[in-house]
Order: sequence, then C-alpha cells, then structure tokens
Amino acid sequence: MPEIRVTPLGAGQDVGRSCILVSIGGKNVMLDCGMHMGFSDDRRFPDFSYITRNGRLTDFLDCVIISHFHLDHCGALPYFSEMVGYDGPIYMTQPTQAICPILLEDYRKIAVDKKGEANFFTSQMIKDCMKKVVAVHLHQTVQVDDELEIKAYYAGHVLGAAMFQIKVGSESVVYTGDYNMTPDRHLGAAWIDKCRPNLLITESTYATTIRDSKRCRERDFLKKVHETVERGGKVLIPVFALGRAQELCILLETFWERMDLKAPIYFSTGLTEKANHYYKLFIPWTNQKIRKTFVQRNMFEFKHIKAFDRAFADSPGPMVVFATPGMLHAGQSLQIFRKWAGSERNMVIMPGYCVQGTVGHKILSGQRKLEMEGRQVLEVKMQVEYMSFSAHADAKGIMQLVGQAEPENVLLVHGEAKKMEFLKQKIEQEFRVSCYMPANGETVTLSTSPSIPVGISLGLLKREMAQGLLPDAKKPRLLHGTLIMKDSNFRLVSSEQALKELGLAEHQLRFTCRVHLHDTRKEQETALRVYSHLKSVLKDHCVQHLPDGSVTVESILIQAAAHSEDPSTKVLLVSWTYQDEELGSYLTSLLKKGLPQAS
Amino acid sequence: MLFGESGPLGGAAWTAPTVRSGWLQGLRSLAQHPGALRFLADCGAVDTIFSLQGDSSLFVASAAGQLLVHILALAMRGPAEGHPSPQGCDWPACAQKIVCHVEDSLRSTATLQVTQALNVLTTTFGHCHSPWTQGLWVRLSPLVACLLEKDPIPASHSLVDLLLSVARSPVGSSDCGLWETLAQTLSHLSPTQAGPLALGILKLQDCPQALKTQAFGVLLQPLACVLKAAAQAPGPPGFPEGATGDSITVDTFLSSKSACVGLLCQALAHLELLQLLPQRPSPWPQAPLLRAAVAILRFCHGSAAPTSDVGGHLCAVLAGCVRVQRAALDFLGTLSQGTGPQELVTQVFAVLLEYLTSPDSSPMVLKKAFQATLRWLLGSPKAPSCCDLDPHTQLFLGELLPVLRKRLCSPCWEARDSGLEFLTQVTRHWGGQAAFRHALLASEVPELTGQLLRDPESYVRASAVTATGQLSSWGLYATPTGPEHPEVQQESLFTELLHILSTDSEGFPRRAVMHVFTQWLKDGHADVAEDLEQFVARVLQAASQDLDWEVRAQGLELALVFLEQLLGQPGSRCPYAVALPEAAPPATLAQVLQALCRVQLFEFALRALFDCDRPVAQKSCDLLLFLKAKATPCGGPQEAGASPDVVSVEAALQRWQAGEQGQPLGELEPEAVMAVLRSMDLEGLRGMLAKSSDHMEKSPQSLLQDMLATVGVLGENEADCY
Repeated sequence: MPEIRVTPLGAGQDVGRSCILVSIGGKNVMLDCGMHMGFSDDRRFPDFSYITRNGRLTDFLDCVIISHFHLDHCGALPYFSEMVGYDGPIYMTQPTQAICPILLEDYRKIAVDKKGEANFFTSQMIKDCMKKVVAVHLHQTVQVDDELEIKAYYAGHVLGAAMFQIKVGSESVVYTGDYNMTPDRHLGAAWIDKCRPNLLITESTYATTIRDSKRCRERDFLKKVHETVERGGKVLIPVFALGRAQELCILLETFWERMDLKAPIYFSTGLTEKANHYYKLFIPWTNQKIRKTFVQRNMFEFKHIKAFDRAFADSPGPMVVFATPGMLHAGQSLQIFRKWAGSERNMVIMPGYCVQGTVGHKILSGQRKLEMEGRQVLEVKMQVEYMSFSAHADAKGIMQLVGQAEPENVLLVHGEAKKMEFLKQKIEQEFRVSCYMPANGETVTLSTSPSIPVGISLGLLKREMAQGLLPDAKKPRLLHGTLIMKDSNFRLVSSEQALKELGLAEHQLRFTCRVHLHDTRKEQETALRVYSHLKSVLKDHCVQHLPDGSVTVESILIQAAAHSEDPSTKVLLVSWTYQDEELGSYLTSLLKKGLPQAS
Repeated sequence: MLFGESGPLGGAAWTAPTVRSGWLQGLRSLAQHPGALRFLADCGAVDTIFSLQGDSSLFVASAAGQLLVHILALAMRGPAEGHPSPQGCDWPACAQKIVCHVEDSLRSTATLQVTQALNVLTTTFGHCHSPWTQGLWVRLSPLVACLLEKDPIPASHSLVDLLLSVARSPVGSSDCGLWETLAQTLSHLSPTQAGPLALGILKLQDCPQALKTQAFGVLLQPLACVLKAAAQAPGPPGFPEGATGDSITVDTFLSSKSACVGLLCQALAHLELLQLLPQRPSPWPQAPLLRAAVAILRFCHGSAAPTSDVGGHLCAVLAGCVRVQRAALDFLGTLSQGTGPQELVTQVFAVLLEYLTSPDSSPMVLKKAFQATLRWLLGSPKAPSCCDLDPHTQLFLGELLPVLRKRLCSPCWEARDSGLEFLTQVTRHWGGQAAFRHALLASEVPELTGQLLRDPESYVRASAVTATGQLSSWGLYATPTGPEHPEVQQESLFTELLHILSTDSEGFPRRAVMHVFTQWLKDGHADVAEDLEQFVARVLQAASQDLDWEVRAQGLELALVFLEQLLGQPGSRCPYAVALPEAAPPATLAQVLQALCRVQLFEFALRALFDCDRPVAQKSCDLLLFLKAKATPCGGPQEAGASPDVVSVEAALQRWQAGEQGQPLGELEPEAVMAVLRSMDLEGLRGMLAKSSDHMEKSPQSLLQDMLATVGVLGENEADCY
C-alpha cells in the first residue's frame, strides 16, 4: 500500500522552528525551515541529523518549500543550505523571496549581538541561499520533477504568505503555513479550492480561540496612542522590520489623516524603508481595497510617517517611533527605550512575542526596575502595553478552511498540545475525518489507495458501445477484458486482442457439475422437462433444445443421463464457461431444487 | 516500581514525548558509575529503555539507543575490563542482557528491530574502543553475516553504517573476516545502496587493495555505463577492470527516471568527495572521468547523439534534468585539479560554454557552470615560454567574454550576479595577465559592469561594486571618458562609489563599497595614495552616518588599516615590515595624531564607542586601545591637563554615552584626545562589551526576576507568536 509519512522536526505540538518532513509517492519534501526565537543554543534550529543520516541531503530531499518570510518559518534556511549542505531547489513566492533576506539579515544581527557570533551565517551565505530559490506564482502548478508538482494558494497572514499543495500522481498534501481567514487592513483572506487532499497539514496557533473583533483591538491601540500623544508623551513601538509594522503604519496613517494630527511618526530603520518598497512592489498580493485605491494613492506612500534620525529622540514634544528590534534586547529600540522609560507620560506598546530574558519580556511581566549593563538600574515609569496583532486563523477559521479543502485527514502543527487536542476532537466530530497532532520527531503514517491509470483499447470500447448502452459518468459499469501489464503500462483489451498480442493459443475452460434428479422417465423426457422449465424461468435468455437431446442456455450445456445404479434417478451434467459463471451457478442451484411436476 | 507500568509508564505525562525524552536524559545523568547501574538494572529500567527504542518519536528512540550504548560501555568498564570471552559467560549481567537483546533483535524478521540493533552497534563501535568490543564483534558477526543472506537485505542503510563503523574501529584492523564481509556486502547490495559503502571503504586508511579496487569499481560503474552509452565507436581505453558498466547498473538506469537520476547524482557526488582525498585510488582515471562528466552534461543538454539503446534512454531521461546538471558541473569543477589531454580539455571548455550560453540553463546551473569554468581557467597551464596564458585559454577567453557580456544583461538577477562574481574572481587572479587584460578591455564587460552599479537589485549592485573595485585595482575599469585620462576615470569611480555609500537605500551595496575602499587602502591603490587623508576623511564621514551596523563596523576596519599604515602593525615583528618601530618616536607620533585629527578619525571612533550596535562599539574599543598602546609607552605629547579641549571632549563623550547625538566636535587637539584616552577605562569597557547581551539575559538574577514576575501573570502573550 502506498503511504504518506509526515514527521515534524519542529512545530510539532510547539510554536517555533517550523520544519515538517513529508514523504509522498516516494518523494521527500521539507515544509518550512525555521528557527526558534526562544533559544540561542543548538535548539534554535530543527535537528537535521535525522535526515542527514539518510545519506546525502541533496539526494534525499526533492525540494524545500517555504510558506512565508517569518523567521520561525525560514530562519534556518541559510544554515540548512549553506552549512548543512542542501543544494537542491527551494520554492517560495516572489514577495517571500524578496523579503526573506531582510529578515535573515535582521536575525544575523541579533545572533551577532546576543552571542557575539560574527560568523553565524554570513551575508554571502544568505545571498547564495536565495539564489537557490525558485519563485512561484499563486495558482501556478510548478513541476519540481516529472512526478512531483506543487501549487501555491493565497494565505493572508503576511505579504507573500502561501499555502502549498504538494502532489505526486493522485496523492496530495496541503500545507497551510500560517494563514488568516479574515482580511485585515492590507491583506486578504486565505483561500483554497476544494482540492480534497489526502492530508491537510494546518497551523493551529489559535486552536481554542474565537478572537474578538480585530476592529476592537485596533480601536484600543489607536486610543492609547492618541491619549499619549495628546498629553505630550512619546510612544515607542518596537517591531521587527516587517509584517506587523506595515499594518500598524497603515492604521496610524489613516488615523492621523482622519483626526488631522500633527505629532510626527517615525520609522527608525533603513530596513523598513526597503520593506515598504516591497509592499509597494507587490501590490497584487495585498487586499482588494488597497489594490483598488492603488491607482489614486499607494497605501504605502506614507504622508505622515518619516525616517527617524537618532537626534530626534531628544526632541521635545510628542512623537510616535517604530524601532527595531522587536524584543527590546539591543540596538536602537533599546536605546530609545532607555531614554524615554523615566517619564510616566511616555508609553511603549509591544505588538509581538518576547523571548524570556529580554527587556521586552521583563517589562511585559510587570518588572519596573531593570538592571542594565554596567550595574545601572533603569526605573521604568512609562506605560507598558501589549497589543496582539498577529494574523492567524482562529478556531472558526481553521474549521472553515478544513471545510473548504475537504481533506481525507487533518494534521495539526504550530500550536500547543492542549489546544490542539480540543481542535482535534472538534474536527473529527464535525468532518468525520482522522486528525493527528504528532510531537516533534513523531511520524504519522497514512495509507492511501493508489489510483493506477489503465489504458483501454478502442476496440473494446467500441464493442461496449455496440451493446447499445450509452456511457453515464455517474454510474460505474462492469467491463470485461484482459489486463495486460507491459513496460510498466497497464492496458485493458479484449481477450482476442490479448491472445493475439501475446501470441497465445486459446484454451476453453469449462466448469462441470452433476445434479441428481429423481425422475423415473427416460433421459430424453427428463431433458425436455428441463428445457420447458428453464424456458419458463429464464425468459431473457436464449434456451435451446438441441437435436441430440441436450439443452443449452447461452454457453451452458445440460445433458441428462441415466444413473448407473439407480434407474429412478437421472443425472444432469451441467457445464459452463467462466464467462457464464454467474448464470451457471444459478442454473445448478435452480436444478438442484428439482423440476416442477408436469401438469 | 520505579520503572514499570506502575511507575512512569502508567502516568498520563508519559504520553508526551518530551517527558519520555527528559526521562531518558535524567537516566543518562544518573548512569555515571557502576553502582547506579546495578540499581537501574535491578529496577527494570533497562527493559523500559528497550521498549523506548521503538518509540513513536525519533528523538526518544534515538536517545534510548544511545543510552543503551552508554550503559553497555559503563557495565563493561567495571570488572570485565580486558578481554572477556565472546560467549559472554564472564560478562556483567547488565551487559549480557543488552547484548542478548541486540542478538534477538538481529534475528527478528521485523526490519525496524533489526535497524535498532544495528544502530546501537554502530554507536558502540563508533564510540567504544576498548578491547571488549572485539569480543562483542566475534559474538555478533555471524548474526550480521546472516542478514546478508536475506533477500532483500534488511535495513541495508544501517548495515552499511555498522560495517563501516566496525572497519574504522580497532576491531576492524584485527579481523580479517571483516574484509570478506565487506566485499560480500558490496556485491550483494544494489548499486544505489552500495555507493555509500564503497566510498566509506575507500576512505579507510588500511584495507586490502582488492577490496579497494572492488569498491572503486562500484563507484565507477554508473559513469562507465554512461561512457559506454555515449560511445560512437570503440574509443580510447575507459575505466580499470571491474568498472565496465555491468548489467545491474544498466538495469537501474533503465528501471525508472528517478532511479537513474538518483544513481548518477550519488556517483558524481561520491567521486567528487573522493577526488579531494589524499588516499584516493591511484592511478586516478582522470581522462575517462572527464569524458564521462562531459558525456553526462551533453546528455542533459540534449547535445549528445547516442547510438545505443541505453544512450537513447539516457538522452530521454536526462534531458533538462537540473539535478544531474548541478551534480555533474560540481564534479567537473573538482576534476580541474588534475590535468587531461588537450583534446579533452577543449571538450570540457566547449561543454561549459554550451551551458553558459544556453537559455535553458537555470540560474543555479548557470552559477555552477561559472564556478566550474573559473576552476578550469585558473587551473589551465601557463604557456611555457612566458608567464602569460596559453593559446587555448586565450582562444576560450575570446569566446567566453561575449557570453559573459550577455549574461550581465540577463533579466534574471541571479544570472547577472553570478556573472559579476565570476568576473571579480577571474580578475583577482588574472588582472596582471596581458592576454586577459587585452581581451577584457576589448570586450564591453567593464562598461557593463559599471552600468550594473545602478541595477535595481541590491545584491547585483553590491556585486557590481566589488567587481568594479577589483577591475579598478588592476587599472581595468574603463568609463566612457576613454582611456586617455586615467586620472579622471579613477576619480569618477571613487566619486561614484562614494555616492553609493552615501545614498544607496540598501545595505549590501554600501557594505560592498566599504570593503572595496578598505582593500584599496590596503593595496595602496594609486589614486587613494594620491591624497590619502582626503580619501579617509570622506569615507569615514559617509560611514559614520550610516544606519547599517556593518557599514559602520567596516568603517572602523578601514580606520584601523589607516592607523596601522601610520603606526605599524600591532605587535609586528616582521623584519621586512616597513612599519615604524613598536612605539613611534614622539615627533612622528605627533604628526600621526595630527593626521588622525584632520581626518576626524577620533570623532568617528569615539562616537562608535557608544554605538547601539555592540559589534561596532567593540571594534571601536579595540581600535582605541591599539592607539593608546602605541602612543603611551613613549609618553606621547605633553599632558594637556584639564584644558578646555579636554573638557569639551569629555562632555561630548558623556552625551554620546547617554545616547544623544550632540554637535560634531569639530577641530580637535591631539593632546586633548590622548588625555581623554588615557583617562578612559577602555579595558573595562572592552570586557563589558565582550559579554554579549545574552550574558545579561541569561544571568541567574535575570532568570529569578523573570520567574518572580511571571507568577500570577496570565499566559495571554505567550500564545502570540510572530
């Protein structure tokens, strides 16, 4: 039986370092190659030793697919391709290909800063890795090789995020990556057609949550920023260069415009200018509203948001600053934070996840006295707010996607075990499909029924047509023929043609059976009685009484003979060919019941 | 009780693989001395570990296997150290139990169990080199040999690993039967399975020549098949005996496309690795390998005209196969280390040119074709009479440069980038060769390279910067102004690069500019030397305002080169160095400091000292310490005391430390700067900067604070990931 095997090396009952191995139809595919934000030792990357032991990586893996540019989905890629030694193709969408290096550079910087790892992976490695990338368009079927094909679907979540269908022959798997089923300010909702895959691998970050309306969270955010600016305070928003930053920018820009606010908004990093450039470039990937208004005004041409200069941090008066890195562990965001932390008029808004140990994590957990380097103590008087803007599908959205794709099985990744358990039950109940949630390193094996294409000879089809029955797509029909397997091809032909092709002589195989009847009459009379009985029962069949006294029904021959020992018993010899097996068996059982008494 | 069903196995937590993994880790730290071992064995822990070998989680199963090896080694370290009998009657009970379990598994009909046993043994022979492993092998080798008689051989991959592990261990050198087993395995396995074993055998230090020949034959088989399939007529001698393209290999080739592609890629990769090893087989069949690589590339490209059936099949299967193309180009590149008959080398260049020209070459294939071409070009022999390029290479260059020119105009950024990288490399090596210079200047390549400085793709701009920098170092960068005014050109390239440094919106090109400038300074580029101070001042000024930390760090690198040129290498002892003595005489030092003030190096370095990006601050600290060390021994200029200059510098430092920008310092007095440097605790600062931010975040105190703060806080924000 062919099977599909799935092993998460990361993101199995966990969030971070997504990396899922799929074996399908003899092909091996790696879905995402991410890193874990929470670790800075060996655990930051998936454990690739489990695949390197299968021989050379490039020989073992047929391709790597990256769903989107977030580091927990692509952060280990340069390490994997340039240091572990994978030399095969990497597939991702065009925006992901363009933006990935920015994030990887960001990550490199963090690694250098946090661990002093200057040669963690170099810029050259990032570039060499990106050169292995093959960009795919949405809904375009890409042939990885003769048997393996992939197709990308829109996933929302972040710019360029995609779900991927992986197909080998008639078997297929869909991997969602991260997705969002509700459109947000700059992106549309995820969509997939009814592709009925054997398996749907879906993220389950918000497996148990029905999220409150995003509008509410946005209103809350704007209110807080507005209040701070109104009272002359400064707002710091530490962000990663990409993703959420752009959404918040649009939010503030529109709000500033509507309220006619004058306080300046700054972006602290050169990287984000580049990011905005890409958002402009990949307008087709954004949502309908942005695409529609694009001609009059590009949403990403910000009127109120300007580049930040280090000197601005000391200017008096209110302002809003987006600064990297997002976890306040180093760099510019930390520098600004140290300046502004002392005043209760100011506010810091953390829009994302913070790793334990970082300043971001500390202030979110309520710490107000932070020990900084050189034994300095920083007293945090500014307001600290946490705002979640992550764009994942909630439980409702996940169910909606399962309904859309109609998979035979579902597998949950990228979530916490407890929450997955709940969703698993819900999916199994509602859709009556099996749902799996393997931990990292656990393999799920699914058997699939293979569909083997068989060619049918024209002659056979014509003969079938000649019987007068028109084909009906919805009704399966029985077709007799001979299956020839030759040169790894399957063909169904008529038996005559098969004999001819294979150079074989025909042999007739007949089944025979004896039926004992109590009948004192002569054999000829018994035969005649059999004839009359069958004639009356089998109205649709051709029943004949031959001159030699035997009776035929189609290919079935019935002869009556006297019993050697018991003259009151007659023996009926029934013989039939395998084509009339069904009728033959029926007749014997009929005759065994005896003949009706002559009237 | 501790380890059975009523112990952990019965607990609900046991269903979580992380718990099982943690349990194994705990056990491993427990099993450190024989006493602990007895306790574990008596409590039934070993049975639980046996069961965990088949765990649903790869990580748990693997950890269980490793723990078994650890326990076995520990048990054998005790009283039985030495040469225990193979029968095992004098083995400790715990070891006996594990070995019996391994034996049972090896006899099992379930492949999974056989694999587990083989993996345990592989680790054992890989890690334990005590004499008892010999007894273990004597005891188990008959069972392993039995596996070879099965058809198909179960767990062949793990079996190969085990045999190689034994062969590499001391056991291998003393067991003659092992070589027979290896030979037998080689002939029993399918070509694809035998490849890794063959390579492993050839890597062994001492093994019988006959076995090596057999193994080499296995690796060469696929290429021998290709050669046979590609032959038009009985050609030159092929591979040595034993590698003639046997029927099994041919069958694999014909069975399916993926089998054919897989086998070829594997063979090419293995031979590539082998070629680099000192113990590679000798004589090395360079010529037939070259012919085979060329033939494969032609099959892939569709330019081969096969006459045989197998050839036709290969043509159909390999046409356009990127995977084989990549592997074959890598292999061909490695073969450039050897030589070959001229007629063959010409074929190599011809096929490389085909790939470089072909519009069907994928970006990755093109990159590999450029890399292979570079290796062949640099490996090509010099003409005997002079030190210039030989005529064949010159001829090839004539054909190559138009292709390169075309690639530099490719719509695909990867192609343009690979072309530029190639140009940079080839110029670095051949910039001084008259024939190359002539050919390059006659082509439009330098002009095009200049145009690519304005490429829309930042990676390409960065590569163009590096390439023009390299060309200019050799006086090969031509601009439309014409060759009659070299000084104008040079000025214009410097200005252009400086413009990129100050205005390019992306980091890669700006970093590349800094690298080029540093290299120019190191090489004493004529136009840099013309007005050194002016050059350094302008570059540092641009770099100091850059948002990219690597540009600022590279700025400090350039500053350090400048300093070294003025003051001599740090700790330089080279008798030929033109550098000044270790401590420069005061008069010279004063001049140097004046110069440093003029180029505003101090302001740049002192600002960088408090840079928000740690690597920049670290570099600056190193630079200032170097300067301080050079200046201090001889007393330096007169103490400046608390002159107004010193006060203003110190005030500025405080502002920068607080993260403020402040006004530029303007003209500085060297005395004031030195006084400030002397008063600063640069060593302390260096110590602090050396501790990365992880040091603060991971400190026990930080952890404790976090734990205390987290108590009672809801887990709302932990769910929000990226």
